[in-house]
Amino acid sequence: VLNYFKGLAGMRNLTKADLQPVMENFKDVLIAKNVAQNIAEKLIESVLNSLEGKKMESMTSVTTTVRSALDEALTRILTSRQSTDIVAEIAAKQGTGRPYVITYCGVNGVGKSTSLAKTCYYLLNHGYKVMIAACDTFRAGAVEQLRTHVRCLGEGVELFDRGYGKDAAAVANDAIRKAKELGYDVVLVDTAGRMQDNEPLMRALAKLVEVNRPDRVLFVGEALVGNDAVDQLSKFNQALADHQNAAAPRLIDGIVLTKFDTIDDKVGAAVSMVYATGQPIVFVGVGQTYMDLRKINTRSLVKALLK
Amino acid sequence: MVLESLGGRITGALRKMTNSTVIDEEALKEMLKEIAHALLEADVNIKSVVELRKNVTNRVNLEELAAGVNKRKLIQKAVFDELCSMLDPGTKPVQMKRGKPNVVMFVGLQGNGKTTSCVKYAYYHQRKGWKACLVCADTFRAGAFDQLKQSATKAKVPFYGSYTETDPVKIAADGVDRFRNEGYDLIIVDTSGRHKQEDSLFAEMEQMAQAVDPNDIIFVMDSAIGQAAHDQAQAFKSKVKVGSVIITKLDGHAKGGGALSAVSATESPITFIGTGEHIDEFEPFNTQNFVGRLLGMGDVSGLVNT
Ligand SMILES: Nc1nc2c(ncn2[C@@H]2O[C@H](COP(=O)(O)OP(=O)(O)OP(=O)(O)O)[C@@H](O)[C@H]2O)c(=O)[nH]1
Ligand SMILES: Nc1nc2c(ncn2[C@@H]2O[C@H](COP(=O)(O)OP(=O)(O)OP(=O)(O)O)[C@@H](O)[C@H]2O)c(=O)[nH]1
Ligand SMILES: [Mg+2]
Ligand SMILES: [Mg+2]
Repeated sequence: VLNYFKGLAGMRNLTKADLQPVMENFKDVLIAKNVAQNIAEKLIESVLNSLEGKKMESMTSVTTTVRSALDEALTRILTSRQSTDIVAEIAAKQGTGRPYVITYCGVNGVGKSTSLAKTCYYLLNHGYKVMIAACDTFRAGAVEQLRTHVRCLGEGVELFDRGYGKDAAAVANDAIRKAKELGYDVVLVDTAGRMQDNEPLMRALAKLVEVNRPDRVLFVGEALVGNDAVDQLSKFNQALADHQNAAAPRLIDGIVLTKFDTIDDKVGAAVSMVYATGQPIVFVGVGQTYMDLRKINTRSLVKALLK
Repeated sequence: MVLESLGGRITGALRKMTNSTVIDEEALKEMLKEIAHALLEADVNIKSVVELRKNVTNRVNLEELAAGVNKRKLIQKAVFDELCSMLDPGTKPVQMKRGKPNVVMFVGLQGNGKTTSCVKYAYYHQRKGWKACLVCADTFRAGAFDQLKQSATKAKVPFYGSYTETDPVKIAADGVDRFRNEGYDLIIVDTSGRHKQEDSLFAEMEQMAQAVDPNDIIFVMDSAIGQAAHDQAQAFKSKVKVGSVIITKLDGHAKGGGALSAVSATESPITFIGTGEHIDEFEPFNTQNFVGRLLGMGDVSGLVNT
């Protein structure tokens, strides 16, 4: 026992051999919390490198040292350097004669349309007039889904739709023009879900973004997703970069993390998504009602990850 | 199919071991590490992975192995047995009888592909001569009835639902009754998405199951799901009699390891997979084929117990 404590009591520099077993444990913790495997690995490696050769504080264990270094690293990753204040951005655009446009994209069934409806509720509460553009012209019931939301959301919101089978980019364009004419403050553009490897559909999304140059391109991803999170985000971003002709293509500049209420403490997808793009989580979906939209709480997220 | 790539990595790890000269503790550890890596990347539940590593190590006690025993073969067999048992639910798919009203209820997490799979399932069976029909018992999701109505119309499958009735249990019961009386032999009930954290939603599911007394309950799961798969699947199983699993969106990039977790949690076989948004992008899942593919590479094929 004495020897054990002596080993932990500082006075010497941390070696790889001290760190490795502890790091392996933390890696498993992160993976169990649903951080993507390769991201957990990268994170662990970078923390290991930063600690190797450092003097350990006296009376702390290797585990405590590693935990606090990881805490710091995770907090840094999750703390956004960019603004996530959509309301402020909308306010700033008032009087320019053009509505503020947000596009929602992502794979199938993650909660794009629901998150759009929640954002709408939030913006209506801020006194803005919102037009919803039904640009999922493919999935059965997609238009009626939005129409139902518009009916429930009441005053200040209108649906723009052209039914099914139409070119989504053109529908968005018409919606934005009409919103401008009618003096709407915001246009929320819903898009069809698509798999990141489906090239024709990814091209169509890039076209919609290129033609309409939205103020925000939000990627919607669900907290349930596993290792695919990284692939989804990087390929959506890459497709937007590859298939737009403009000199400065519009890329993903925000994440909506949905179904956060379904994962208990397995909150790792948040890390995977932010790490994969460096983009901030703008909203978190925590349920199926209009009120269930939150800002991310980095502190409690990191705590859940390292518990 | 994407699940294949998992098999490829595992076979690769085994082959690598075959080529290394001495098989000692270290080589075994290295190989198991690589396999664990492949499984975790495919979203297999971390507890199952740890378990697999432990079981294989226990079974292959290198020191106790008599000289002359083929160690490589033994290790390979241990790994494959463990993998097979992960895929084997120990139960057979529910058998339906023609000419009688079979009721099948679809359940699962939000947005995992229940409605889409319901219609695909109806279409698939209709083409095989079943008299199939659909009941929309999702009164919660905006546009749910329209979605089912439009898809069912496209598939030319009769459907039942309501724009005004708000009680899904009543719709389910009424719809099933009506189709029973009309002589349908495959009555498929679509339900709302739900999750274990919300008790009222699970209670509703139980009531619905009670009301329609289904022959089979199908748990639908998205192939991209991560570490939460096992707990959610298990929670569904604990409330209703899940008898089969459908894994969706396998046309995506996800490796579908959550599927393995769902099998072990629901103790039910995977019966179909979804491979696209279109109505015919739907295939029967064959465990034997899958395991066969997993095993059927190189010199490991001799390991299967038949
Ligand atoms: N529990 C929970 N469910 C959610 C959340 N966000 C969305 N959902 C549910 O997820 C399901 C799918 O939501 P949609 O908004 O239709 O998803 P989508 O991405 O638009 O789907 P597609 O357009 O078909 O690709 C619905 O049942 C929603 O109620 C959330 O934060 N929590
Ligand atoms: N690419 C692909 N998309 C699929 C597949 N199965 C379903 N989808 C899509 O996934 C999304 C959600 O499917 P739904 O059938 O609405 O899911 P659900 O489980 O009924 O959703 P809720 O009723 O809201 O819980 C839709 O965009 C579907 O088109 C599949 O196998 N491949
Ligand atoms: Mg949608
Ligand atoms: Mg549905």
